[in-house]
Amino acid sequence: MSTATSDTPTNTFVRCDGILRPGNTNCAGCGMSLGLQFLEQGLDGEKPTLCIPACCGIVTAGQFPTSAYGVPTVATTFASSPAVATGVSVVRRLNQEPNPTVCWTGDGGTYDIGMATLSAAAERNEDIIYVCYDNEIYGNTGGQRSSATPLGVRTTTTAAGKTERKKDIMGIMAAHRVPYAATLSVAHRDDFLRKIRTARRTRGFRFLLLLSPCPTGWKSEPTESVDLIRAAVGCGLFPIYEVFDGVRYRINIRPDGTPLAEYLDGQRRYHSKTIDRDEIRAEIRAQWAFLEGMEKAFPAGKDEGNPA
Amino acid sequence: MIELTIYGRGGRGGVTLAKLIATTYFLRGKHVQAFGVYGAERSGAPIQAYMRADDEEITNHNQIQEPDHVIVVEQTLLGPHVLSGLKPDGWIIINTHEAPESFAESLPGRRVATVDANAIAVAHGLGTKTVPIVNTALLGAAGKLLELEFADVEAALAEMKFGGANVTVAREAYDAVVGQRLAGKAQPSKQRAANGPVVGILDEEVGGMPVIRTGTWASRRPSRHELMPACNDGCPAGNDVRGFVQAVAQRKDYDAALAIILKTSPFPGICGRVCPAPCMEACNRRAHDEPVNVRDIERYISDHAVWPQPTRPTRNERVAVVGSGPAGLSATYHLARLGYHVTLLEAGDEIGGVMRTGIPSYRLPRHVLDHEISFILRHGVEAKTRQHVDRAALLKLTNEYAAVFVATGLQELRSLNLGNLAADMVMQGIDFLDQARRGHVHLTGQRVVVLGGGNTAMDAARTALRVGARNVRVVYRRTRAEMPAIAEEIDEALEERIQLDELVAPLRLHNNATGTVLTCQRMKLGEPDESGRRRPVPLESEDAIFEIECDKVLLALGQSGDLSILPEGSDVRHGEQLLGLTAAPVFAGGDFATNAGTVTAAIGSGRRAALHIHKTLTDEDLFPPPPAPVAGPEAIRMHVFSHQPREKPAIIPAEVRRGSFTEVRLGLIDEPGHEAAYEEALRCFSCGVCNECDRCLTYCPEGVMLHDGDCRYSFNFDYCKGCGICASQCPRGVVFMQEL
Amino acid sequence: MARTLVTGNHAAGAALALAGEANRDARGCCAGAYPITPQTEIIEYLRAFNFTKGHIVPVESEHSAMGVCIGAALAGARSFTASSSNGLAYMNENVFAAGYYRLPIVMIAVNRTLGPPWNIWVDQGDSLSLRDAAWTQFYCESHQDLVDTILVAFRMSEDHRVLLPALVAEDGFILSHTQMAVDIPAQDLVEKYLPKLNLPHQLDFEHAATVGGLTWPRETEKHRREIQSAMENVPAVLNEALDEFAAVFGRRPDGAFTAEYTEDAETVLVACNTMARTLRRVVKDRRERGEKVGMVKVKLFRPFLRDAFIHAIGSAKRVGVLDRNHSPGSGGIFWGEIATTLRQRPDVLLQDYLVGLGGGDVTPQIIEEILDDLKQRKQAEEPVWKEVAA
Repeated sequence: MSTATSDTPTNTFVRCDGILRPGNTNCAGCGMSLGLQFLEQGLDGEKPTLCIPACCGIVTAGQFPTSAYGVPTVATTFASSPAVATGVSVVRRLNQEPNPTVCWTGDGGTYDIGMATLSAAAERNEDIIYVCYDNEIYGNTGGQRSSATPLGVRTTTTAAGKTERKKDIMGIMAAHRVPYAATLSVAHRDDFLRKIRTARRTRGFRFLLLLSPCPTGWKSEPTESVDLIRAAVGCGLFPIYEVFDGVRYRINIRPDGTPLAEYLDGQRRYHSKTIDRDEIRAEIRAQWAFLEGMEKAFPAGKDEGNPA
Repeated sequence: MIELTIYGRGGRGGVTLAKLIATTYFLRGKHVQAFGVYGAERSGAPIQAYMRADDEEITNHNQIQEPDHVIVVEQTLLGPHVLSGLKPDGWIIINTHEAPESFAESLPGRRVATVDANAIAVAHGLGTKTVPIVNTALLGAAGKLLELEFADVEAALAEMKFGGANVTVAREAYDAVVGQRLAGKAQPSKQRAANGPVVGILDEEVGGMPVIRTGTWASRRPSRHELMPACNDGCPAGNDVRGFVQAVAQRKDYDAALAIILKTSPFPGICGRVCPAPCMEACNRRAHDEPVNVRDIERYISDHAVWPQPTRPTRNERVAVVGSGPAGLSATYHLARLGYHVTLLEAGDEIGGVMRTGIPSYRLPRHVLDHEISFILRHGVEAKTRQHVDRAALLKLTNEYAAVFVATGLQELRSLNLGNLAADMVMQGIDFLDQARRGHVHLTGQRVVVLGGGNTAMDAARTALRVGARNVRVVYRRTRAEMPAIAEEIDEALEERIQLDELVAPLRLHNNATGTVLTCQRMKLGEPDESGRRRPVPLESEDAIFEIECDKVLLALGQSGDLSILPEGSDVRHGEQLLGLTAAPVFAGGDFATNAGTVTAAIGSGRRAALHIHKTLTDEDLFPPPPAPVAGPEAIRMHVFSHQPREKPAIIPAEVRRGSFTEVRLGLIDEPGHEAAYEEALRCFSCGVCNECDRCLTYCPEGVMLHDGDCRYSFNFDYCKGCGICASQCPRGVVFMQEL
Repeated sequence: MARTLVTGNHAAGAALALAGEANRDARGCCAGAYPITPQTEIIEYLRAFNFTKGHIVPVESEHSAMGVCIGAALAGARSFTASSSNGLAYMNENVFAAGYYRLPIVMIAVNRTLGPPWNIWVDQGDSLSLRDAAWTQFYCESHQDLVDTILVAFRMSEDHRVLLPALVAEDGFILSHTQMAVDIPAQDLVEKYLPKLNLPHQLDFEHAATVGGLTWPRETEKHRREIQSAMENVPAVLNEALDEFAAVFGRRPDGAFTAEYTEDAETVLVACNTMARTLRRVVKDRRERGEKVGMVKVKLFRPFLRDAFIHAIGSAKRVGVLDRNHSPGSGGIFWGEIATTLRQRPDVLLQDYLVGLGGGDVTPQIIEEILDDLKQRKQAEEPVWKEVAA
């Protein structure tokens, strides 16, 4: 247990507003922290209920009797957050309480252990905003691989580089025909906030995915967290787009010629012979061919969502 | 049994340090135990690690309550809790650049040892500057104090596979650590503070904010400063260019923008038309797409804002200004605003100097010139024309006035010997321009040649066209790239079908069978001369010599000041100031003193003269403070800004305008729902100066920034973790990180 | 004897890897692994280990981790895994399945408190919640104990007289993350100790069978009795395994219960894991002051060897149980077992002490207080809550 230092009196409790309060134990430069700030900004003061499974997000809360979350928050078991959120959101609906129910989950809980629960909640079109902050590892337990870890990346359980590709969670969510699915960038605040607002106005299961910079897991500088995501978006590795009803696509930000190196060089996890940059570039091209094709064949309507 | 407590930060090797120390004992045959205390800590949070070594098997798995020694991995972790349970003879080993004596007040009576593990680690590339990995250095230091041989330390490193720089670092620290018992009485060591009261789950007062002061994690802090915008740095008049552009961009407040300009320059309308705009040359937006069109914004402000009321003199002193060109008028204006009675003396018959005589009205309409001169004179200025001041008159002025400012411009016109025909056919461009504006000269049907490459040459050429010339050629001995004239002037001249003969030098005028011709020599560029420009040398080939038919030759070959006005033995110092050889101080400025050649430079010169005079007369120094470093393009995060081409100012088509003296450029024109100057001002990055875009605040992952006033932001350092994202997201170099 | 300085997890991982590698001339080894604090270093070690004939699958949940182990074991490979706390709880259904399938899987339980509310520190509640799953359960007090017990567990589990999976527990953080010296045996010695795995009911094309299909109550009764018989074979098989271990490695690990200072003890305290070590220091101290106190360390919890326990307490009249676990509505789980056991000894005053729940640091001072309470007690009461964390 952490022993208090003498200048941190643990017997004074101060209430204050906001979803994520200062004094939380997240690492400096944590993408999830920034995501929570943007969530708050995008909800325009409305308080959600948070359902957070075992992940960094719930450790953020800190230790009882204090909590870094300023809104009602349920710590769920690892696989259960969409199920717990279902229960909360149903009762909210029965009692006409408009506040949104938000699952705030890491990639481990989304792509892996919670996949079945996620699929079921999506299939039932539960009235939940599901946000996955994806740092591409099991960050909370020290950096083991998840199915969100990209190909070739070394983690504590893939010393020779991961031999499988990153799972296409957006494709999976689209296949569930959820009303709204979108990728979010912590380097593109205005787009991020717009999508929170779009999600807020949509009914049914909404899936939001953000690539969450993790200085500890990625071995990058905290100060570069936002710029790394900007590079990820700019080089096309993390496309920013929306999918409506699982079939209509809208690309929000296209690659701008940023070199892949600008994203990879800043993270020691990518400094490895197991990484094949040409392979990554080929993947990016293939990914964009698909997205461009989908947008062309099944474009979103001009007024869908909340276009800028 | 020996017990050690280590105070470290999560993710930075504190537990590994415990293991390394344990290994040194293990390799010497002892029983050992090393572990950390884990909680919700993340990278950077304070943690403890423990080490036990004993001859007997260790069966104690409890946390260490009474350590024999403690190690403080980062100085920022020091606090009274470090002493908790520490035995009286225990070492407190601290990673710091300070000497043990520095802790005499906080740790009296204790044995304190210090080593600058950060410096040692960084010097050998362990970790980053923000987060150096100091555990192997501290192993060396601890080893020394625990009276181990360095060989033991080395063996532990090898056992745990820490090679390379780690051994060097450990050795350096082993040698460098110093320790002593500090004077004074040791404070009784308190038990570590117990955790707070136990609160049951159903108790009422729960759920508040954790008081973990995560500010203690930070090794850097954000701070804010202002840099000098590149445009301001480039403006010879010292205008706050960024300031007036942002007044438009942020608040569409043209009156406020005008007030900003008028602090330094009385000529926004003039400069908004004729300034070569070094501010735009320096504009950082140039590296992104196109520079901000400052000149037309300034013009727009001048044309649309409400001009303030002139002030009246408030002081007793009277100052004389000789020369009513831009420098003289600027000095007049600034002196008048400081409250002085100013007498302005002009040798010519109209106020305005070269702005009136040398700049044609199609570039600078008379009403604009007259308006801005009138504004200055209405500050209680006494203006006298037809007042030629020579040396004697100047000395007389020094007896009658508290100070004198000489800004008589460049009276001497450089000439060229073109042979006997010169007298009738050759005219100085400056004189021609003055005659033309009075309507005293027409060149109907004539073929005109203008010699020179500066603004006067362009003005003369275009004016010649407008007073009837059949055709006009500008002959210049270097290339267009070396011509000092403003690029747009050259472009507009060429559009008006003025021909430019580059790399041509004139030789002489003479008559031949068909008429008068100017014999010319083709040139090429050789080595640079003292001005740095490549010297033109004659081309040696058969057709290097050729002839131009012409009826008139206008000279625009440069000017210099007539220094005869100055008393004997005086000197223009620092370009602008004279020794006090006279009863009252005499200052010189404008082209007369600097030959800078632009209205804007003259404005700056006149203002500095006014401030010099004021300082001499009152001892009050109103000069601006030394500027901050300049915000160049590297200070700007261009990616934040989308690409947006500049607003296109309106211009009269060449075929229409070449026949009249109507103003050629019309500036930025508004359309319904589209305020042109405002739209252009929005393109300004506000380099180096905060414009409250709030990016820093909204990108802060901790939410610890507050926007609590006009351009005032505060940081809650109790919680700021020093991640540096605010600094990385400020587009204009205002937020930066400081080491603690 | 080559001693190295490693954490408990590293030691456990190394022992599992040695065992897995030892089956390379048979059908190899295969495991499912999923991370959870404080076990992660075990699976990281296994994933990094270069098995000659083995593979560790990085699965998506603990339920699947045990699923993989079940499949691997039925296919005849040596299988193992590790988990803690809620991971063990998530695994629950498949843990029962592994027991009921009679598969000799060895699982390291790095003891950690169950939640929510989340708690990462030590508590035996997680492994004890699986006590009915038809697994044997061992509780280890030191790094060496852990390494040795893991190897013994494989030996015992794979014996055809047992064929039940084994859970081997170590204290989270206190052992798992603490670096101490341990002798990790050499591969060749491990191979001397562990015969190649030969599972009688391994999936077989020649004699195709359906494993675990629908059964009538009568067969289930028989199935359960078989399991109980296997449990009843444990004392003998375990003894042999321990003797053989001593022959190969030169030391004999502790048996089911270790009675210390109990010859003439009037008062005896019972504990397991590292708390037993702290208890030992206190008992030793008090003995030196002339008090007739003793202790019983519990190593084997399942099967709970009642006769051996009765023997261990000797003639003591007061027995205190230190339970770092709790079954709501009853009391400490060790106490529950011991209470059933001591129906043969109605003269004993048996008192339960719930101490260190949720991972509090149990100091000698606290155990002294418990001992004092037990000694002067007039009668047994409901379990005493000896709260540690202030």
